[in-house]
Amino acid sequence: MLLRAPRGALLAGLWAAVLGAACDAGLEPEPICARGLVGVCGTLHFRGTIPPGTDNVFVAAYATFPQTCNELIANRQPFIPGSVLYTDSVAPYSLSLLPGTYQWVLAVWKRVGTLTLTPADTALLRVAGYYRNAADTTQAGVVTVPSGGSAGGVDFVVDFDHLRLATDFVTCTAQ
Amino acid sequence: MHRAVTGVLLLLFPLGAAAQGVLRGTVRDTHGTPIRGAVVGVPGTTLYTLTDPGGRYRLARVSAGEVRLRAAAIGYVPAATTVTLGLADSAVADFALKPSPLELTPLDVVSTKVPRFGDRPATSVAQVSERDIDRRAVNTVDEAIDKAAGVQMLNGQINIRGSTGYVQGLNSRVLLLVDGVPMNQGDRGGINWDLLPVDEIERVDILKGAGSSLYGSAALGGVVNLTTRDVPEGVHARVRVTGGMYSDPPHAVWRFRSGPGLQGGGDVAASYGTETVGGRITAGARHSDGYREQDDQDHWQVASKARWQASPRTRVDVSGAWAVHRYEVPLSWCNQGECDDRGQAFQPFKVDTRGRGAHTNSRKGYVAAQVRTVASERLAWQARASWLRTHFTDWRPDATDYAVANRFGAEVRAEAHPDSARTALIGAEGTFSDVTSDVFSGAATPDVVGTHSQSELAAYGESEQRIGTARLSAGARLDILAVDGGSPTAVASPRISGTVPLAGGTLRASVGRGFRAPTMAERFVHTFALGFEVIPNPGLRPETGWSIEIGHTSPVIAFARLDAALFWTEARQLIEPALVPPVPPDPAKIQLQNVARARIAGLDVTVLAAPIPDRLTATLGYTYLSTRRIAGTSDAPLAFRPRHLLTLGADYGMGALGIGADFRYASRPERIELEGFVDARRVPVKVLDLRAGWTRGPLAFRLLVANALDYIYNLVPETLAPVRTVTMTAVWSY
Repeated sequence: MLLRAPRGALLAGLWAAVLGAACDAGLEPEPICARGLVGVCGTLHFRGTIPPGTDNVFVAAYATFPQTCNELIANRQPFIPGSVLYTDSVAPYSLSLLPGTYQWVLAVWKRVGTLTLTPADTALLRVAGYYRNAADTTQAGVVTVPSGGSAGGVDFVVDFDHLRLATDFVTCTAQ
Repeated sequence: MHRAVTGVLLLLFPLGAAAQGVLRGTVRDTHGTPIRGAVVGVPGTTLYTLTDPGGRYRLARVSAGEVRLRAAAIGYVPAATTVTLGLADSAVADFALKPSPLELTPLDVVSTKVPRFGDRPATSVAQVSERDIDRRAVNTVDEAIDKAAGVQMLNGQINIRGSTGYVQGLNSRVLLLVDGVPMNQGDRGGINWDLLPVDEIERVDILKGAGSSLYGSAALGGVVNLTTRDVPEGVHARVRVTGGMYSDPPHAVWRFRSGPGLQGGGDVAASYGTETVGGRITAGARHSDGYREQDDQDHWQVASKARWQASPRTRVDVSGAWAVHRYEVPLSWCNQGECDDRGQAFQPFKVDTRGRGAHTNSRKGYVAAQVRTVASERLAWQARASWLRTHFTDWRPDATDYAVANRFGAEVRAEAHPDSARTALIGAEGTFSDVTSDVFSGAATPDVVGTHSQSELAAYGESEQRIGTARLSAGARLDILAVDGGSPTAVASPRISGTVPLAGGTLRASVGRGFRAPTMAERFVHTFALGFEVIPNPGLRPETGWSIEIGHTSPVIAFARLDAALFWTEARQLIEPALVPPVPPDPAKIQLQNVARARIAGLDVTVLAAPIPDRLTATLGYTYLSTRRIAGTSDAPLAFRPRHLLTLGADYGMGALGIGADFRYASRPERIELEGFVDARRVPVKVLDLRAGWTRGPLAFRLLVANALDYIYNLVPETLAPVRTVTMTAVWSY
């Protein structure tokens, strides 16, 4: 019996070690958006040649489509945008937004220069791409950010070869 | 010439029986309990038999005089005795075997086709006994063998030491035998694990490494032989009822139904036998709601077996089965945007909505007949014929495919024991397969029905010589293959092997060549996959490979036995999907081609221990795999092969009650096929099964908690492996 106890203990120890190593759950849920994010997220697919003088690319959203230059600057969320990586062909992004509906989610190309947060900024900015309506890709797609949650899969193309002036979309005088 | 013919005829059909007698008796353990399936025989002769459920045996045509008789069973110390048998007389020899959990396979019919009674085989063999199957309370045969060391099941495809990988059922590099009869499908070469009810299986022998020198095509990576239960004397019945429940997904965001998923089924078997004839029939059905969306399954089956002792020296066995399996197909799990993804990058319990409604009807059955005549103590011959039929129809939202295939086989072989030190085996085998299908048509365009056939003729021989304490054997097989009556292709598969006692154990070594003929599915498939047209390639050549193995079995300490084997396989002409470059205006296409060389090397270690011999037994199996795929300039690991495979098992018995556990670990495969086209998420496998059983008289209850840790994993891309499942099984035997 004395001999048996260490053998059983050896076996129990082996099992304990193995099961200890096995204590994780394998595949786990992977939210499309970062955990805790309230806003939108998705993937940007980059095309074309990065223009000389590029400072950065950022993603912004508008609850209603801007009608004037002032709305273009003042209603942008976030007001002071951050940059996304644009040197790879694909890049994920996350954008913190208040819950609600957004009619225009777009990527903006910015040339080197300092933003003044006035309509004069339009001289430095170009529309590089925007999220589109799946049923009619000529139109912008509407995104709803749920209360306390996020909207994922807001994917769209950023085309450096077809950067467009804000005046193509908004009635204002480009600076 | 006349004398030679007469001599052969006398060997085959000896006239005199007066100098022979009958041996009979029982094999029990030291408590007096009958041992079923024990092997009793006269070493060095063709005379052997298995005990029935009452532990009884009977050996006819034993030469009169002093007869040395031996009895062995898994888990018992073999015993031998000498009996004096009079002319035309009978004698009784009873055995009482002493339990010994460390005793390994006493009989190896798989690797050599010759019963090798009490000697260790020259190649690695894993065995799953009836007791293992009962204890694990599994529902299908593949679940029963999944825990064998060095074996991994990938979505129904068996991998022995990493042989097959995962090829979506288009082939198998492992040969399935049912009572020695090949049962790989005629069209795809794959294995229908649900062909037989698990309750029909008495034992599973798994030969690791190339076995083509005796078994021909498909035995490139190994051979699995299912031994079905024999028909005992008297009236017997068995009822098996199972019921169980699948766990809900462990995360609320993955939930896909409001109620639990259930499963259940039952099998009824009845048999009657006399000394001369016997028969059994088994019928059963089971249903499963599945553990994920679109995963309902219904299965019906019937199986039968009959035996006829036509004369004291000739036995005829006829068996057959028919199974119908209707199952929904969760083609691939839902990735972002492919279903209501609830903001998740993937939903492993849900299906891509484009695959909604996909299901398969699969019907399969076989009939086989075998006759074995023990012409004398020195010569026996055996003949068999078989017919396997498979029929599947796949319903997909975008297409419907079907295939009806037949595989007809016949084989004759003779087994001679010229003296107690030599054994010789010669045989010939023929197989004819045909398929009618709209997906394996080989036509210029998809969805056109076509018919194809494949013929295989083979001759083989092997001889073994005992030299002192060593055993050496050498053999070869020549296969001739022809497709649609075209020009034949010949493949030779030699093998030499040997065993020698060394360092308190047995050293074994073998070198052999294996091959696998392309299946008709591989040659003639014409369909669409992943947006590409898959085009046929009728000119595919056989895959070949050389396998080397060196192994040693020995007791390492008083209560444990170690078996270790180094193995090395060099494979050529491996058939894999290749991208055919676009030729404008045609886009790129996929075609199966002989493109790759591969090297599979590794170490296989099995430890069988009995720390408390009468109560606690434990097993450990570890396989280290190093694989390289060499195609052109690319050099990468073979897809779907884990580098480390570990299995642990333990059982503790306390009278009628027993508890046990199995744990399986497989490291994350370094490479999968079609990476970039499919979701490449994969994790290591860490699965723990817990079980408990209680037996009293004719009743047995088993509780199985499979995947008790509810570990969420996948073995192949976008296909979730089973979650925690609790199953209760009750068996009544009469």
